[in-house]
Amino acid sequence: MSARVLLAEDEENILTSLTFLLERAGYDVSVETEGPKVLKAALSTPPDVLVLDVMLPDMDGYEILRRLRASPATERLPVLMLTAKGQREDRETALRCGADLFITKPFANSEIINAIGELAEKRLQ
Amino acid sequence: MESSILGTRIRQRRREIGTTQAELAQKVGISPSYLNLIEWNKRRIAGPLLGKIATALDISLSELDDVSERRLSITLGEIAHLPALAGVQVEEERINELIGRFPGWARGVASLARSEREATERAYMLSDRLSNDPFLSENIHRILTRIAAVRSISEIIYEYEDIPDDRRREFDRIIYEESRTLSDVAEALAVYLDKAAEDEKVFTPVDEVEALFEHHGNHFSEIETLSEILAPEFAGMNLRQERMRARELVTTRLGETIDRIVGDQAKISTHAGQNRARDLLTEYAVAAATLPMTAFREAAANARYDIETLSAEFACDTDIVCQRLTALPESDDTPTFGYFRANAAGTIIRMLRLERLPVPRYAVACPLWVLFRAQQSSDVLFRQRAIFPSGARFVFVAKAVSQGKVGFGAPRHFVTDMLAMSEEDSFKTVYAPDDDTRLEEVGPSCRLCPRDTCQHRVTDPLTDN
Repeated sequence: MSARVLLAEDEENILTSLTFLLERAGYDVSVETEGPKVLKAALSTPPDVLVLDVMLPDMDGYEILRRLRASPATERLPVLMLTAKGQREDRETALRCGADLFITKPFANSEIINAIGELAEKRLQ
Repeated sequence: MESSILGTRIRQRRREIGTTQAELAQKVGISPSYLNLIEWNKRRIAGPLLGKIATALDISLSELDDVSERRLSITLGEIAHLPALAGVQVEEERINELIGRFPGWARGVASLARSEREATERAYMLSDRLSNDPFLSENIHRILTRIAAVRSISEIIYEYEDIPDDRRREFDRIIYEESRTLSDVAEALAVYLDKAAEDEKVFTPVDEVEALFEHHGNHFSEIETLSEILAPEFAGMNLRQERMRARELVTTRLGETIDRIVGDQAKISTHAGQNRARDLLTEYAVAAATLPMTAFREAAANARYDIETLSAEFACDTDIVCQRLTALPESDDTPTFGYFRANAAGTIIRMLRLERLPVPRYAVACPLWVLFRAQQSSDVLFRQRAIFPSGARFVFVAKAVSQGKVGFGAPRHFVTDMLAMSEEDSFKTVYAPDDDTRLEEVGPSCRLCPRDTCQHRVTDPLTDN
């Protein structure tokens, strides 16, 4: 059975490219574009890996992550955070909130596929 | 360091006209050894002796005692302590010789240091802007997001050969759209940064105008004379009418004079500097019209320069009185005053300098000055008897006053006005300290202050004397 990846991203074109890449890599991909819906989807059916953008409408990625870490069902859910802000404080905030990995935009496709592969493998072990 | 370079100029002029020290000393009635001390800037001179020397050297007093050179000497003294020169053996004690012998190089060094300071300020400002500006932050985020999409899609097109035609066309469309958006955002950003570059210049006009006032010794005799003539035209008016009428008359009748003074100062190169100079000279002229110098000078001497008494007598704010005191014409029995105004953030926003008072041009001032302490209790006049590391003593009087709109619910903002005078001059005023008055150790700024044990120190000293 292929690993399930939830893509939480509000940029339509980035979603298109990531969906293509992940499907080609054999993942089962679902998509959410609004903060509260991401939280609801991740809590109701936890994916194997969550790719979480920081800037999302109505609830940012940091807040979503804090709430996920507070719930027993998702406290250990592997999360890769994506952001266009590459400053050190953003990285520190992401890691403090409980992100497993942190990648800044623009990214190389191989970078993101490798990171998701690493997290999925860890989840399935 | 002795700030005057009068001695160097006397020596130079004496040599130019081929006179020996002994001959000049005899002409002005002093010993050659005393003249020697004067020529090497070891003794300060003023008053009648200076006049006699000028006459003997066939040169005017203003040529001999050049205010702009004194200012240059102070500036070079500060430059000697700049971090960039730490470790370089700058001969600070020979600054006056440098100015006297190589005036072009001296001005060049000061000019370079000024450019360096402006560049540093600009860098700090741009750094602040990059970190905090919401427009930049938003647009950089947009650019990075667009680039992320273009890069990811183009990598897919390059690396995957089996993409169905309809997907490939979709990817082409994405690259086309994202590139166009990227171009628009980049253009908006370029326009914004161009505008920001123009706005930066707002930092330098303050210095330019300060230089204008120092060049004139804070006294503009032409404005004083013309303003005094206006005074009878608003006799009998109430205070508010008087101020308004004075402003009208100054604008219509002294506008040309003010423009000429600003135009004569070649160093005011920016429009913002010229506007600021015009505004401050207009304020000066309004004050000169409503507190005419002849009457003000007499009242000031009678009140022993008590700013609160003068403020009540002339029904005006203390900052106006302070500024008028700095404009008093020089004479042996009149104290010389400096004036400073600081805002709540501790920034000195107005400065009419006092010779020999070390105010750092390249750093923030010492926090121990009463200028900053006075904001703890508004409307209370504080006096401070201050001693600097060089041993120079000054008396400062400062008062914080509210500024801006008033009314319930309106935030109250305070500024502090401070009058400065040498301790010697303070004995001509009501602010003279007595033996019991505490002598407070202060400095110019941490960087220039050698007091190692000061608990308020925030940076290491660069001086080792």
